[in-house]
Amino acid sequence: MTAATTGPGDPVPPGQAAPLVQVRGLAKSYGAIRALRGVDVSFRRGEIHGLVGANGAGKSTLINCLAGLERPDAGDILVDGEITHVHGPADAARLGLAFIHQELNLVNSFTGAQNIMLGSHRGSMVALRRFSGVPRAVLDAARRVGIDFPLDVPVSELTVHQQWLVTIARALVEDRALIAMDEPTGSLDAQEAATLLKVARELAASGVAVVFISHRLDEVTAVCDRVTAFKDGSVALSLPRAEITREALVRVIVGQEVTPGAGATALEATEHRRVVLDLREVRRGRSVREVSLTLHEGEVVGIAGLVGSGRTELARLIFGADRPDSGTMVLDGKPYRPRSIPQAITQGVAYVPEERRSEALFLTHSVEENLHITVWDRWRVSRWLPLIRSRSSHAAANRTCRTLGIKTADARRPVVGLSGGNQQKVVMGRWLATNPKILILDEPTRGVDVGARADIYERIREAGESGSAVLVISSEFEELLECNRVLVMAEGRIVGELTGDEITVPDMLHRCYA
Amino acid sequence: MEGIIQQATKPSAEPGAEPGKAQRTLVLAGRYGTPAVLVLLLIGFTAASPQAFMTGQNLLNILNQSATLAIVAGGLTLPLVAGKFDLSFASVVSLSGILAVGFLERSSLPWFAAILLALAAAAIIGLVNGLLVAHLRINPIVATLGTSTMLLGINYAYSNGTPITLEPGPFTDIARASVLGIPVPVILTAVVLGGLWVALNFTLLGHHMQAVGANQVAARMAGVRVARITMAAFVICGLCAGLAGVVLSARIGSGQVTAGDGYLLNAFAAAFLGASVLRDGDFHILGTLVGVLIVTVTFNGLSLLGAQSYVQFLFQGGILVAATALSSTSRRLLLASARR
Repeated sequence: MTAATTGPGDPVPPGQAAPLVQVRGLAKSYGAIRALRGVDVSFRRGEIHGLVGANGAGKSTLINCLAGLERPDAGDILVDGEITHVHGPADAARLGLAFIHQELNLVNSFTGAQNIMLGSHRGSMVALRRFSGVPRAVLDAARRVGIDFPLDVPVSELTVHQQWLVTIARALVEDRALIAMDEPTGSLDAQEAATLLKVARELAASGVAVVFISHRLDEVTAVCDRVTAFKDGSVALSLPRAEITREALVRVIVGQEVTPGAGATALEATEHRRVVLDLREVRRGRSVREVSLTLHEGEVVGIAGLVGSGRTELARLIFGADRPDSGTMVLDGKPYRPRSIPQAITQGVAYVPEERRSEALFLTHSVEENLHITVWDRWRVSRWLPLIRSRSSHAAANRTCRTLGIKTADARRPVVGLSGGNQQKVVMGRWLATNPKILILDEPTRGVDVGARADIYERIREAGESGSAVLVISSEFEELLECNRVLVMAEGRIVGELTGDEITVPDMLHRCYA
Repeated sequence: MEGIIQQATKPSAEPGAEPGKAQRTLVLAGRYGTPAVLVLLLIGFTAASPQAFMTGQNLLNILNQSATLAIVAGGLTLPLVAGKFDLSFASVVSLSGILAVGFLERSSLPWFAAILLALAAAAIIGLVNGLLVAHLRINPIVATLGTSTMLLGINYAYSNGTPITLEPGPFTDIARASVLGIPVPVILTAVVLGGLWVALNFTLLGHHMQAVGANQVAARMAGVRVARITMAAFVICGLCAGLAGVVLSARIGSGQVTAGDGYLLNAFAAAFLGASVLRDGDFHILGTLVGVLIVTVTFNGLSLLGAQSYVQFLFQGGILVAATALSSTSRRLLLASARR
C-alpha cells in the first residue's frame, strides 16, 4: 500500500463545500487503552462514508464521541465548520445527527410505532401527541426500510431483526443531516440488508451524510463513496470511491506485519488426549448453526470471531444458560443436556462472561464475596451446621488474591475499587476455585490493561496445564496466538480450524471476512 | 424491581470528581449519620423530659414496644436484601393474630398448637408470594399487593370483622410475662434478629441472597439458584410477620383485622433508615434494628412530651427523608471515590 495515510483533514477540492461534520485530532483513552489516537476524518452531505477496521480499532469510539456518549480527551468536532461540543444524545439530535448503535436500545413494552416516535424531537414537550396507532410520519419511515410487520404490537414480540428495522426507522423519522449506522446489517438477512443499503443510497441522494460501519466488506465496497480504514485507534487509509477494493481494505485491516505463532504450540499427540467435550451439529436460532467441535483435556482452544458471529451464544449453550434447538453434546463420554446453569456447574463447566460488570460482578460487594460465590460451602462448619467460617474464608480469599496477583489491600475491600484487570482476575478466580473440566472465557481481556493481560493468559495456561479444557473467545486475535488450536467462527458457523504454527492473525482475519 | 429499590437507596454511580476532604466527611456522615440521629434523639428527649424519658422502666418499655416492629422489619429485610419488595407482611401480622386467637377460643386448641398453626399459615403465604415472584415472574410489588388484599378478605371472613377477644392465660403471657426482669417479647426479638443476622452473614443462603440483590444476572451466571433464594426470603419474611402477629395479639388480648396495618410504613421506614447505617445503602439486620429504635424512640419520646399526632408524622417522615438522602449521597460519593 503506497498512498496509505491521509493528512490532517481531507484536502478540500476547490469548489466543494465544507464538510458537514469534520473531526480533527480526536483522541480518547480508557485507562491505559488508547481507543483513538488523533483521528482526522470528514463526513460530507450526500456521501456514504464507510468506516472499517478490526474490533477495537476505534470506529465505535468515534461514533460515540459524535453522539455525545463519550467525551473526547482531545481534538475538535466541527459541524458546518464551527467547533461544536456534543454533550449528550439530546445535543446530537438538535444538531441533526442520528445514530444507530451496535446494541439495540428499544423500549420493550412500547409498540414499534411508539419506539419510532421516540426518535422525533420536534414540537413542545407538552404538546399533545398521539400515543396509539401508527402516525403518518412513522408509516413513511417504516415503508422506507421495508417494514412489513405490524407496528402496533410491543417490540418485545418482534424478532431481533425486526427490532433492528424499527431502530433504523427511528433514525429516519425526522429529517437528518447525518445518519451513522454501526453494524446495521449484523442481524439482517441478505434481502433485508439489501433494502437497508438501498435506503442508505436514497438518503445520500437526498443530501444526507451517511456513515456506514460494517464488517461485511462486500457491502462497504458496494455502497460507499469513501472508505476510511481504522487500525489501532488511527486512520490507516482513506480511499475515494474509485479506489475502493476489497483487497486494499483487507490488507489494511489485517496489517502487513507477519506475526508468527509466538508461544503457540499444537499439543503433541492431541488425538491421544482424552476428549472432554464433543459437540455435534449444535444449532440455536440464527446465531449458532450446526456447530461441531471437540475439546480435549488440558487444551487451550481459541474461538476467533467478530462481534455477532455467534461466539457468546455458543458459550451460553455449553454453560446451560440457553438450550440448543438441535444437535448433541457429550461431556466425558456421557450425553450432556444441561437444563440450568447450576446443572452445568455441577458437571464441571465454568463460564467467564463477556459483560463483566453486568453479568459477573457484584460491584458493591467485597472481593471475597465475589471470589467465593461459587464455593461458599467450602467454609461450612460441618455438614450439620450450615454456618460459614468467616475467618477461614477471609484468609483463603487473601491467599487467592496473592496467588492470582489481584491487587487489593484486603479481600474485604469492595471490588468496584479494583482496575478492570484485577476485577477480571476475581471473576476468573471464582471459577478456577471450582477446578472446572471446561473453562470458557468470553473476551477475557476486554477493558484490561496490557500488564494484566499477560497475567490473565498466564492463568489460562496454568488452567490448561492443570487439566482443564479451556475455550477462549476473543476478538483480539493477537492474543489467540497463545492457543494450541483456534477455531474461526463467522455467522454462526465454524469456518476454519488452525493448529500450532498455522495460527496467524492475518489468517484468522481472512477467514472471518471470507 | 431492583431498579426501584436502588433508586431508593443506591443512586446510580456517575463518574464524579476525586472526593475532597469535605466529601470524605460526607461519606462518614452517611455511614454514621443514622446512628448519630438515634443518639441525638436520646439526648434530646432526655433533656426535654429528664424525669420520664431516661429511666430504666421507660427504656425497657421502649424495647418492649419495639419488639413486634423489630421482628417484622427484620423479616422484611431479607426480601429487600434480595432486591424484592414485600407489601403483604402487614396483613400477615393481622392474619396470624386472628388465627392464633381464633384457634384458641373457637377451636379450643392448646396454645402452642394455635401458635404453630398460625406460623404455618404465615409461612405458606410467604411461599405463595415467593412462587408468584420467582416462578411466575410477577412484579413483587404487584404480587404482594394482591396477596395482601386477598388476606384482608380472608381476615374479614374468618373474624366477621369484629375483634376476637380472649382471656389472659399462657398465650397472653407471651407478651406480658418477663424472664429475669426482661419481657418475653424482647427476648424473642433478640433471638429472631440474632438468627437473621447469622443467616444473612454466615450462611450460604445469606451470601446468595445478598448476591441476588446486588446483581441478579451475575448471581444466575455464577450458579446461584435465584428462584429458590427468592422464595426463601419471602418465606422467612412471612414467618417473622406471623410471629409478630402472635406476639401482638397476645399483647392486646385479641385478634383484629386492622392490627397489623401500622407496621407497613413503619417497617419500611426502619429498613430504609437502616440501609444507611455503616454499610452505605445495603439493607442489613443491624441497620434495621437501629431504624426500628429510631422509629420507636421518636414515637415514645414525642408521646411523653405530649406532642400531637401531626407532629409525630412530620417528625418521623422528616427523619426518614433526611437519613436516606444522607445515605444515598454517601453511596454515590463512595462509588465515585472508589473509581479512580
